[in-house]
Amino acid sequence: MINLKHILKLRSLPGATSCTSAFLKETLTAPACSRINASMISGFPTPMRRELCTEKKMPTVRYSDPAIREPLKAFGKYAGECLPKYIQSADVTIFDELEILIHPEGVLPVLSFLKDHHAGQFVNLSDICCVDVPSRQFRFEVVYNLLSLRYNCRARVKTYTDELTPLESCCSVFQAANWYEREVWDMFGVYFTNHPDLRRILTDYGFQGHPFRKDFPLVGYNEYRYDDEQKRVVIEPVELAQDFRKFEYSTPWEVFPNYRDADKNMRKEGGGDEK
Amino acid sequence: SKAAGKLTTGLTGLAVNSTPHISLTALYDRTLKLLARMPADAKYRQSTEAIVKERLAAVNSEPDISRLEKRINCGQIEEVVQQAERELQLARNFLAWKPWEPLIGQAPPNQWKWPL
Repeated sequence: MINLKHILKLRSLPGATSCTSAFLKETLTAPACSRINASMISGFPTPMRRELCTEKKMPTVRYSDPAIREPLKAFGKYAGECLPKYIQSADVTIFDELEILIHPEGVLPVLSFLKDHHAGQFVNLSDICCVDVPSRQFRFEVVYNLLSLRYNCRARVKTYTDELTPLESCCSVFQAANWYEREVWDMFGVYFTNHPDLRRILTDYGFQGHPFRKDFPLVGYNEYRYDDEQKRVVIEPVELAQDFRKFEYSTPWEVFPNYRDADKNMRKEGGGDEK
Repeated sequence: SKAAGKLTTGLTGLAVNSTPHISLTALYDRTLKLLARMPADAKYRQSTEAIVKERLAAVNSEPDISRLEKRINCGQIEEVVQQAERELQLARNFLAWKPWEPLIGQAPPNQWKWPL
């Protein structure tokens, strides 16, 4: 890690120029070198911001693009001002994606706004998915991914619900929502009111349970096999030939210092191994 | 009459509109009437009124369809009509939903926290 004070102190000594450059050459690796610009070396410390860097950027790194970020931020703020009743927050993620977090009552208003308003025109519903986080009060997080063809722009709308509270179906707004909501119902058990035809779509006809929930086991409860005596497929409780093995992929060294709390919380909620 | 204008929009299911000025003025007038029923300080009303008035001014001052399309700069005139229809429907729904009211409820404290 480069110490700014160190560089500045070296710079002020007589004959320090050659000293400084030697110091820089020794201690800096190539990526860090690229972040130093002229004003830093002249003695005025500048915050190290990638946007100011005049050196060539690393080709394997996907930098944040302000040209994408700023309009998304502006639109998110605008949406928040138009629908303050439902929008809890509208942010742009670190990957330059707009995410609008809403109250569950606001599914239809917000999606209608994004689709019908002149400034939005998010006419395409790309996906509806669900995330199960059992430790939360509202364990299911339903995510709507939208695309605006007119403005070549994507947005994401997120709500939350638990096992019993239904969400309003957005089939009246997006025809594509039909099968996506059926999938969320089948896999997670999130009920959608006013859906034209909410039934299972991926699981077998008599299947019980919602497979994508975190408490549903990976191998399930029943297994199917063809029985030669009965001449048909029979359903029996699942029997594994060997014990289910869960591998621990952890290293003794800390990999992500920024996520120390997350690591502790995951272990508390049984995310780690029970050994 | 179609010989004077374009033969097709090039978009499936979207027919050519031979009198777009009439359609647009009707839609925009009805939208403005609906917007007038919303509170004056609502951001949706202010911005939508600005957009609709600008487009209405363009429609009223430009009789030539292709020049009007270029001036509005939002696709073909039939698409502009589609956008106007959608905005009208949205204004109707907003009068019922009233989304300019304050937030109905915050999420529980750690609802959006990620990573846990």
